[in-house]
Amino acid sequence: MTLPVLPHGDAGVSRRNAIKQLALACGLVLSANSLSALAATFGQPTDLSRSKKTLLKADQLALLRELGEIIIPTTDTPGAIAAGVHDFLDHYLVYCASPTEQQGFIAGLKRIDDSAQKQFKKPFLSATKQQQITLLTNMEKASDGFTADDRKFFKQLKALVTFGYYTSEIGATKELAYLAIPGGYKGNFKFKQVGRAWALPY
Amino acid sequence: MEKNIYIVKSTEIYDAIVVGSGISGGWAAKELTEKGLKTLMVERGRPVEHRKDYIGEGLTAWQMPFRGQVEKSVVDEQHYVQKKCYAFNDATKHFFGNDKDYPYSTPKDKPFDWIRGNQLGGKSLLWHRQSYRWAEHDFNANALDGHGVDWPIRTKDIEKWYDHVETHAGISGSTENLEILPDSKFLPPFEMNAVEKEMKVRIEKKWKTRKLIMGRTAHLSVPAPHHTAQGRVQCQTRNECQKGCSFGAYFSTQSSTLPAALATNNLTIATNSIVHSVIYDPKSNRATGVRVIDAETMETREYFAKVIFLCASTIGTTQIMLNSKSEAFPTGIANSSGALGHYLMDHLYGAGASGRVEGFTDEYYSGRRPTGLVMPRFTNYSEMNPNFLRGYQLTGAASREPWNGFSERDGFGADYKNNIRSAGSWIFSLGGSGEMLPRYENQISLHPTLKDKWGMPQLHIECDLSENDWKMFEDIADTCANILETIGVKDVKKKIEAKSGWHPGLAIHEMGTARMGKDPKTSVLNGWNQAHDVPNLFVTDGSCMASSASQNPSLTYMALTARAADYAVQQLKLGKI
Repeated sequence: MTLPVLPHGDAGVSRRNAIKQLALACGLVLSANSLSALAATFGQPTDLSRSKKTLLKADQLALLRELGEIIIPTTDTPGAIAAGVHDFLDHYLVYCASPTEQQGFIAGLKRIDDSAQKQFKKPFLSATKQQQITLLTNMEKASDGFTADDRKFFKQLKALVTFGYYTSEIGATKELAYLAIPGGYKGNFKFKQVGRAWALPY
Repeated sequence: MEKNIYIVKSTEIYDAIVVGSGISGGWAAKELTEKGLKTLMVERGRPVEHRKDYIGEGLTAWQMPFRGQVEKSVVDEQHYVQKKCYAFNDATKHFFGNDKDYPYSTPKDKPFDWIRGNQLGGKSLLWHRQSYRWAEHDFNANALDGHGVDWPIRTKDIEKWYDHVETHAGISGSTENLEILPDSKFLPPFEMNAVEKEMKVRIEKKWKTRKLIMGRTAHLSVPAPHHTAQGRVQCQTRNECQKGCSFGAYFSTQSSTLPAALATNNLTIATNSIVHSVIYDPKSNRATGVRVIDAETMETREYFAKVIFLCASTIGTTQIMLNSKSEAFPTGIANSSGALGHYLMDHLYGAGASGRVEGFTDEYYSGRRPTGLVMPRFTNYSEMNPNFLRGYQLTGAASREPWNGFSERDGFGADYKNNIRSAGSWIFSLGGSGEMLPRYENQISLHPTLKDKWGMPQLHIECDLSENDWKMFEDIADTCANILETIGVKDVKKKIEAKSGWHPGLAIHEMGTARMGKDPKTSVLNGWNQAHDVPNLFVTDGSCMASSASQNPSLTYMALTARAADYAVQQLKLGKI
């Protein structure tokens, strides 16, 4: 079965073509390659018109950018910056967080920066990597002057960064293993056969 | 599909009208058309064409503006109840009902979460596909303890109809010869992973009365030739079913019953047609048709038929019947018993336990299996519990903790990232589906004043949990925790979600309110799903249920529908209705 080579552009037409091909293919045994190709044909470009607004000021966004990269750094795969986690959260928080949650997030960012000022006499972004890590470690443990509320904020931040990273294309397909169309469930399967966690857990 | 099957107005007198196009409506349409009846399927929502209209299918997280979540403004305005469903997300929201247009009320102290899908295919696009037969023990339940009325049927009446619907739909599962959970006509079962196999060994070694088996699900694990002939493909285990499946790998109206009905050339469909009431002729004592409000234009029209099947979902069907008032039936059509609207049930969900299984770090799985495991009922069957009536089945699974479980633990940076990549600990969990007693005071009624967008009286739903229900919740949680601890699972945590926000309705197995029974004085339908009072009116969706058992009910709705359709056609041919 030859699969359609889809033009960029009208996603609706592309999808209809893909479905027509699939309808013809039904009843045939589909190979893993053709299945993966089919997976690509189902997609549509992100509807960015639904997420135009942003929450953060430039300095807050810059701080979030750095925090994201500290939480999920570049290793042998790209980290949070490359995955655009800060930009994503800047849009996401406008639409999917309540005003209270938004203010709490901004206040938490400020708490981090204020703590750096207090401890290191400089903004968080100007502190050394080790100072930054020490500060955040204490915040997560609610030690060294950080409160239970501070710990709670850091947990939320970490959860948001994790969410933004592992649902990004980089996080899901480069760092983890992405299998759009698995072709069946194998219960007798060793971790080393894939070597990294599935991006889509269930 | 050459002929134009979609109509708006029609003066034709059809052989049959089927109201609703979901699990039971699709089956009624298939069976009636295959038996030669010119059938009009009336659906309140818009058309949804298999494959073409699955607009969320195949979307990756990053292709969606909020990675699968829905913006608060949309959720708060239109889906403030639907959002509670586990399957509600940005790629499925268009298959869920609109809470703003079609609201309902409850007493403040009795919250009820009504999850619905108001489009062609109904909740057959959204269901979890779990499919289990009822046992004789289940049909006996009301007679045994006196709650509810005795079922007018037993397994011998329905067995061959289970065979019939299972064969066509395709049910995957393992043959186990268990009296309490009878086997279906099965396609091969899905595989267990290494940890599940070990949990099964430990559980069954410890308890002779408890079995952990593969879940039974309406998926084509391996399609039979007649499935392939319908254009349905083997399940690819994407586990994104609710977005729509162009492979047709799970049972839905679109993938399975509708194509069969269309192939007969006896089916016509009216969409965006909200049934306001059943038209009743007192002289002949027959339902003669339905009154409809157009969902888009608000125009009213009527459709006529010799036989009416109400398959509009449990609450939808009873709303229509309550709204079908006449001199003969001042409280709703076929309601001489006064039972209409009463004995609403849902399953008791949200109680269970989970914990960590140490080791097995070399083991994993590939694919996203669309079913978990099931532990058939043992409570008040093979293990008696004097504290409460009836019982529950357990479902569960073992999987490795995914990335979103990691942020709770301390740590960040390269180690955090690498730990996530290495996949988390194995987690094993079990949770219950408990049987709710049928109670008169759990009821739905028409609101005296409030109307929805189309001028239909809104529903008022009153449903709360009884002492029996709470005792069962406690037992489910304790039992699950005990099982896990006994077999060596660590850090076992138990939960009862009903204490923290789970409300009736959220199992999405709402049943009852037009119950079957032997006695016309205490039930709405007889053993053929035929209204005692109006012989050409049949009701085969969840509203017909006289008790709830603990199994997922849709398979039983399919079998009851096929059986009732067969009977209705016979009666029509004999001139009896």
